[in-house]
Amino acid sequence: MRISGAYTLPADPERAYTLLQDPEALAASMPGCRELVRTAEDEYEMKMNLVISSIQGLFAGKIRVADKEFPARFRLIVEGDGKIGFMKGEGVLTLSPVDGATEVRYDGEVQVGGMIAGVGQRLLDATAKYLIKRFFEKMREWACHE
Amino acid sequence: MATTITKTETLVGKRIRRKEDPRLITGTATYVDDIQMPGMHYAAILRSPHAAARIRSIRVGPALEHPGVVAVFTGKDVEGIGPVPCGASLPGLRVPYHSVLARDRVYFVGHPVAVVVARDRYIARDAVDRIEVDYEPLPAVSDPEKALEPGAPAVHPEWPDNIAFTYHQEAGDVDKAFAEAEVVVKQRIVSQRLIPTALETRGVVADWRSGERSLTIYSSTQIPHLMRTLVAQALGLPENRLRVVAPEVGGGFGSKLNVYAEEILMGFVAMKIGKPIKWIESRRENFLCTIHGRGHVDYFEIAGKRDGTILGLKLKLIQDLGAYHQLLTPAIPTLSVLMMPGIYRFRNIRADIIGVFTNCVPTDAYRGAGRPEATHGIERMVDMLAAEIGMDPAEIRFKNFVRPEEFPYETPTGLSYDTGNYAGALEKALEVAGYRQLREEQKKARQEGRLMGIGISTYGEICAFGPSPATPAGGWESATVRVEPTGKVTVLTGASPHGQGEETTFAQIVCDELGVDMDDVVVQHGDTAVVPYGIGTFGSRATAVGGTAVYYALQALKEKIKKFGATLLESDDVSFSGGVCVCNQTGRSVSLAEIAAASYRAAKLPPGTEPGLVSTYFWEPPNFTFPFGAHIVVTEVDRETGAVEIKRYVAVDDCGKVINPMLVDGQVHGGVAQGLGQALYEQAVYDENGQLVTGELTDYAIPKATMVPRIETAHTETPTPVNPLGIKGVGEAGTIACSPAVVNSVVDALSPLGVRHIDMPLTPEKLWRLIHKGGQA
Repeated sequence: MRISGAYTLPADPERAYTLLQDPEALAASMPGCRELVRTAEDEYEMKMNLVISSIQGLFAGKIRVADKEFPARFRLIVEGDGKIGFMKGEGVLTLSPVDGATEVRYDGEVQVGGMIAGVGQRLLDATAKYLIKRFFEKMREWACHE
Repeated sequence: MATTITKTETLVGKRIRRKEDPRLITGTATYVDDIQMPGMHYAAILRSPHAAARIRSIRVGPALEHPGVVAVFTGKDVEGIGPVPCGASLPGLRVPYHSVLARDRVYFVGHPVAVVVARDRYIARDAVDRIEVDYEPLPAVSDPEKALEPGAPAVHPEWPDNIAFTYHQEAGDVDKAFAEAEVVVKQRIVSQRLIPTALETRGVVADWRSGERSLTIYSSTQIPHLMRTLVAQALGLPENRLRVVAPEVGGGFGSKLNVYAEEILMGFVAMKIGKPIKWIESRRENFLCTIHGRGHVDYFEIAGKRDGTILGLKLKLIQDLGAYHQLLTPAIPTLSVLMMPGIYRFRNIRADIIGVFTNCVPTDAYRGAGRPEATHGIERMVDMLAAEIGMDPAEIRFKNFVRPEEFPYETPTGLSYDTGNYAGALEKALEVAGYRQLREEQKKARQEGRLMGIGISTYGEICAFGPSPATPAGGWESATVRVEPTGKVTVLTGASPHGQGEETTFAQIVCDELGVDMDDVVVQHGDTAVVPYGIGTFGSRATAVGGTAVYYALQALKEKIKKFGATLLESDDVSFSGGVCVCNQTGRSVSLAEIAAASYRAAKLPPGTEPGLVSTYFWEPPNFTFPFGAHIVVTEVDRETGAVEIKRYVAVDDCGKVINPMLVDGQVHGGVAQGLGQALYEQAVYDENGQLVTGELTDYAIPKATMVPRIETAHTETPTPVNPLGIKGVGEAGTIACSPAVVNSVVDALSPLGVRHIDMPLTPEKLWRLIHKGGQA
């Protein structure tokens, strides 16, 4: 499944870039995130509760940041699994200044398997959009308050 | 002698209500999940979420620690058990070893990896989630055509081309036919993967009696005896120590014409833990792990003349086999080839099957099994040829039908059609539908801008499977008829009916032969400890083959009844009919009950006669039977929504002699409903990674009662000489005839937009796009 879109954060690209890789900000912004820890340079471990269609369950996963070009772009590699299946995703986030703020474009591929694929795929697109929207809304709050 | 009343009313041919229905509609039938036993344990199965992966390690510890869990078994515990059997053979067939639990790799989503045994089913289910499997995901392929491309992921590493077999059949002079053709039409036609969706999912109970060293397996199956033979082999158990019981079975449609890993596995578990074990398949498991049907990509080419004469047909058939062969997987597409000329006279055919492995659950027999795909192909191609030369679809069929005087008709694919009057069936369907009038209405509708279509499908099918040389495991059937000492009649049939109604139809046959009442007859089936070896119910065979065995058992029994009657009446000149044995000289008579009592009392045995009234007959059919018919469907497609409305559905089916017209109508209705499912709604969809995205009934649309139109049924009756009852079989007719009739109708509706073919299912989205892009898909 292809996921792409754009969202504006009220911060300059340098700050937005930092925020998007800040474990604390990420943990606070990711819907259902129970835990997010940095395990190495540019590597995180995460636990999140995912609700999709009629199923929900805890996901344990790894996030890796690669191809960093401060403050313009980076690549995000996500892998996780749990009782309800697994997901793998990879995407590029591109940051560009717009009127004192930053437009964050994301473009990536997500693959799901197991029960999420069999039961939830129909709603996956909508759920992904909803989760991303919630994420950026929280990120925006974070950016404003800090 | 007491006064006896001769029964004169006959029941064969009458609309008799089903003896099985009261228990089914009052919820008092016993299915596998209704079986309870002291000390019963429950199994749940961990299944692969990956379509292809290497198993690096499995940690079962956390599951074993879960309170209430008794045992966990993985692939290494079942070495020496299995494999899951494939009963079909073809030259050069590649048969992957199908272990009952995955060993070092998984090959499709749903592949069983471990089984958890616990004190209750909820504990078992919870503990499944505690097993930790370290998978190394591998590239997977789910599309059979992509699987054939160079560089595609290999489903089984030992066969990188993913080809399980190729099969070629040819007759006549195909090249000459195509060289001389005035018209050649080519089309790629997909018969999509379908999920059989029996109302009752599969389920197994296994009970090991260690003292007797005997195992009983209760399974929701169509083939208890074949299962006994095959599961005994897989478990290394002497066959006479295994009993298989098929209790009430809530639908099969071919999906239970199989031996699955779970039957072997539960037998193994019961013997390991020494307790009865139950496993009931969930609906999601049913979608992932029970066989799917169809899965064809067919490339057809038809050659014809401008006067409508069909000259020849070519077919390249790509069969999506899935990851393994289940019991009959590779044999199913060969049935498509046998049936590919349909009921037409042309002699030149060429077929090439490529059986392709994919990382999906195996395909196998599903209602019609190969014949719906073939019928869909030929009926679409005939329509396309007609459209190409501007001929009416009814007329082109009349021109090419095998004629009544040509029977028995040897087909170019090697079958011998028994009897038929194909033109008669189509004429009747046209008459019931009011075809000419409908074409007038269509003209008017088109002037008004409405998209009205009329679709015809004429079909033949191969039924009453079948002569033993043409089947993998014998095609005969057994029957025992027993008159008990009180005159009540027990029938044991080796056919294992599961909803078709043979408890009723076989009783009708018995009533007419023995002159007893329906209430006096009990038909037993589905228990290998009770019933002599039998083949089972599939391929529209139970009545035509199993019923014939009952008929022959009755003939032998009647001879014996007459012998006992003669002794009782002290006469050599007696006749038996209507339940009474009469001395032709004196007119004195004895009833069947009196004869039965005397036969068991055995005080006065006729010379050379055994006591009792029992007769067993194993009947071997000399040929298949070939029912046929014509269905006409009138549709209207909504321009704004793309939705198809079925305005009329006319079904004319000829299944030979009819024992119970109500049951025949029921079979046609159910078959048509499933045909409509394929034509309009159903499709098992795997994504490119081999994930089944239509994983439950919210995503996989089967027709509901409100989606099935009123079906106008009519019949012609052309008896078969293959059996003395003249019956042909009807279980799959509706499914075979329906989908091409619906698609032909919708293509006809959209033909003013330049549409010439649409692949199933005809979803509103697909049709809306065609309408709004001016016929371009």
